[in-house]
Amino acid sequence: MTTPVLEARGLTRQFGHVRALDEADFEVYPGEVTALIGDNGAGKSTLVKALSGNLAVDSGVIKFEGEPITLTSPMQSSALGIETVYQDLALAPHLDPVQNVYLGREIMRPGLGGLLGLMNVKEMSKQSRHAFDELGATVRSLTDPVGAMSGGQRQAIAIARAVHWANKVVFLDEPTAALGVRQTKNVLETIRRVRDKGIAVVFISHSMPHVMEVSDRVQVLRLGHRAATVDTKDTNMEELVGLMTGASTRNVA
Amino acid sequence: MKWKKSVLGVLALGASAGLMLTGCSGGASSGGSSAGAGSDGYKIAFIQGVAGDEFYISMQCGIESAAKDAGATVTTQGPEKFDPTLQKPLVDSVVASKPDAILVAPTDVKAMEAPLKAAADAGIKVVLVDTTVDDPSFAVSQISSDNKGGGAAAFDAIKEAHPEGGKVLVVSVDPGISTTDARAEGFQEAVKGDDKFTDLGVQYSHNEPSTAAEIVTAALQKDPDIVGIFAANLFAAEGSATGVKQAGKEDSVTIVGFDAGPAQVKQLKEGTVQALVAQEPATIGKDGVAQAIAALNGDKVEAKIETGFTIITKDNVDGDAKDAVYQSKCG
Amino acid sequence: MSAVKQAEMGPETTAIETAKDRETPIRKLFKAQAFQIFIVLLVVIAIFSAIAPDTFAQLSNLRLVVQNASILAVLGVGMTYVIITSGIDLSIGSVLVFSGVVSATTMRAMGGDDWGTAIVGIIVSIGVGILWGTFNGILISKAKVPPLIVTLGSLGMALGLAQILTGGVDIREVPSVLTDSIGYGNIFGAVPIISVIALVVVIIGALVLHKTKFGLYTYAVGSSEEAARRVGVKVDRHLIRIYAISGGLAGLAGILSLSQFGTTAIAGQSQTNLNVIAAVVIGGTSLFGGYGTIFGTVVGLFIPAVLQNGFVITGVQPFWQQVAVGAVLILAVYVDQVRRSSAARGGSTSFWRALVSRKKK
Repeated sequence: MTTPVLEARGLTRQFGHVRALDEADFEVYPGEVTALIGDNGAGKSTLVKALSGNLAVDSGVIKFEGEPITLTSPMQSSALGIETVYQDLALAPHLDPVQNVYLGREIMRPGLGGLLGLMNVKEMSKQSRHAFDELGATVRSLTDPVGAMSGGQRQAIAIARAVHWANKVVFLDEPTAALGVRQTKNVLETIRRVRDKGIAVVFISHSMPHVMEVSDRVQVLRLGHRAATVDTKDTNMEELVGLMTGASTRNVA
Repeated sequence: MKWKKSVLGVLALGASAGLMLTGCSGGASSGGSSAGAGSDGYKIAFIQGVAGDEFYISMQCGIESAAKDAGATVTTQGPEKFDPTLQKPLVDSVVASKPDAILVAPTDVKAMEAPLKAAADAGIKVVLVDTTVDDPSFAVSQISSDNKGGGAAAFDAIKEAHPEGGKVLVVSVDPGISTTDARAEGFQEAVKGDDKFTDLGVQYSHNEPSTAAEIVTAALQKDPDIVGIFAANLFAAEGSATGVKQAGKEDSVTIVGFDAGPAQVKQLKEGTVQALVAQEPATIGKDGVAQAIAALNGDKVEAKIETGFTIITKDNVDGDAKDAVYQSKCG
Repeated sequence: MSAVKQAEMGPETTAIETAKDRETPIRKLFKAQAFQIFIVLLVVIAIFSAIAPDTFAQLSNLRLVVQNASILAVLGVGMTYVIITSGIDLSIGSVLVFSGVVSATTMRAMGGDDWGTAIVGIIVSIGVGILWGTFNGILISKAKVPPLIVTLGSLGMALGLAQILTGGVDIREVPSVLTDSIGYGNIFGAVPIISVIALVVVIIGALVLHKTKFGLYTYAVGSSEEAARRVGVKVDRHLIRIYAISGGLAGLAGILSLSQFGTTAIAGQSQTNLNVIAAVVIGGTSLFGGYGTIFGTVVGLFIPAVLQNGFVITGVQPFWQQVAVGAVLILAVYVDQVRRSSAARGGSTSFWRALVSRKKK
């Protein structure tokens, strides 16, 4: 069994009286799509935030490629190759797709131009276009503001941004929640392509059909604790729902 | 993309500027939209210290009637506030409209010197009405009230009401305005000459009645035994009376205001203000027109004219002093 | 095109394709609000020129309009940056006065009438402005106090401190090198030096805003502060710099005002902050952040200035000028609203198209 690229053991986090994470375990392997499911309040978002450096934990161990680390900021996670796409996409609506992909990480012009703050727009556009095409994202204009684009396009841009910078793990929080049928199809296809590049994908979803369609493994969270981890091919939707609500149990692998 | 717009914009601006410069010298004069066509009469421009002030409106009435008699046309402009940064663009625009003479009340003794000097250099006759500047050599004449004398007269009015003496306060406008500075000076010199009275100094209300009211209520809190307040101009008087009323001290404090606008006359009749030192803005205006036309005709001018004032009290406001009250509308 | 391919192109793709066909560069130019406002300005100039060719449409007059707009232009550059970040700076008029006061006090203490003293005065004025701006920026970004409140507070404090420092009496001794050169001097005999300085500020401001990373981050913070933070943009530091720039430019405006008026004019600048904000908004910069241009601000400045100048020359009562400027301001914000809401719905950002499509419904 290969080393998990990202692993969590016994994570605990409390907010006041509420125990959002209660000795939670988690692991994800390279080139694998893992679905993270659970009922509302199960701790999915909290777990993702902890694993992407946005939230500190009270106790527990996080390991990156086998080595224990402490994640203190999202920038640190980015440096390790972990990127997250939240539900609100975190895009700046007035900026165009290229500016959004490179925001915070612009390529500067060489020499004096770069010192004065001039950016290498041509190179950034080229690489962005490449990133979009690789994922099959239909971005029609590289210079229009993303606020004027459809939800599906914005989703694609956000995912392309994450994939462009990540080379280890990409977290997606409810990537299909606000999309129509065709756009969802595109996103799921994109997820497969990301996996095929050897990057681990973790996505949170409430949609059992999507989970069944695209994930390799499913991890179920219940009340801040991992209730089960199953291979997708060994399970079905009813069992997953049962595991989420506690109606049925499985031995945790 | 954005840069292209700017470039095109600059080119378009340059093109239109070029068009205007080359094409716009000839063409029939369209006859200004000011009162009267008077092609043989002179064009006079009057720039007030601040628009909407009855003192300057009365002056405007005087100017307009004198101009009508002399066959000249008048346009009037004034900034919203007594503020040189607002008055300068107005002066520049007025100068560009090429009047024959400008009657102006400068809002700052220094800041308005250069723009007005430029006007004089352009051949326009400049007459300073009401306020003046540090170096008025470019002007053909300066006309204002005897402000120092007016300040001293105000003190006399307070002395009459309180022969036993006491504390007195001056509420002025802003330092640097020649007229109100002179009034305060006249008042304070007179106070110094009488050791029964204590001078509490000068406070500045920035030509805002509300500020004057705040100053007075605060001063009365600090010194409840103030017997007299001298308010150096129209808005200061309005606000000071309000302040005294708010503090409930109408019976113990004598207010003498400078200027006699309708609101102050009302306060006078109500008894919150005891006396008003009214200037003669219409006379200042008339004299201004006379001097401007004399200068334009090449006749002798009087470099300095001091106009008088009337003390208005409740007793004479409807009688002898009726005409001394300022107008809020002409005619 | 086969029926199958047609079916695959959903409504959004069709819309995008047809929208792209209409989007030639010239079209894009015409749609920019700054350009449309510029056309308005040209129309206003043309109308006044026709009414008063001998007086309005003269180089000497236009020169003075440009000269009087120069100080506002300098302030406008700073305010454009601030408003693009969806902030606001009400304190610029007071900071202008305060920096002028500190500068004049310093120069008076130094005593000289030469460029040595003048240069110290210039540096002091700009430096004091930067300090105020930094103060604003720190409160806004670190203490999270809304910009409206912070700058309202510094408006009062700066003006009050200016009055305390001077005892309420204006300082009227300004080195003549300043008043002669910057105040009223010209280059090539006709171009006011103060306007050249303003033009340099405008050009640098525009280049930085539209071409550099600093400008991009300004738009990003205004567009979505949260998104910028998430990707690692140091939002707090950027905001402090923005307000420092606004303050610094107010300080520059302070020394320019000293040179032009020869006095600290403490009672002045009462309307300046609102006039500058109006100019920025008329020029197409959105109060909600994320969009704006320096060119638009400059045009937006000239519209009230030209209106006032034209009205005075043609003898219109001064209060009409307020009415006209107020109307233009409201119209500009309304147009911005219409464009933003139609853009959010994925439609065209052309104002006229928005009106037409509304009627069709």
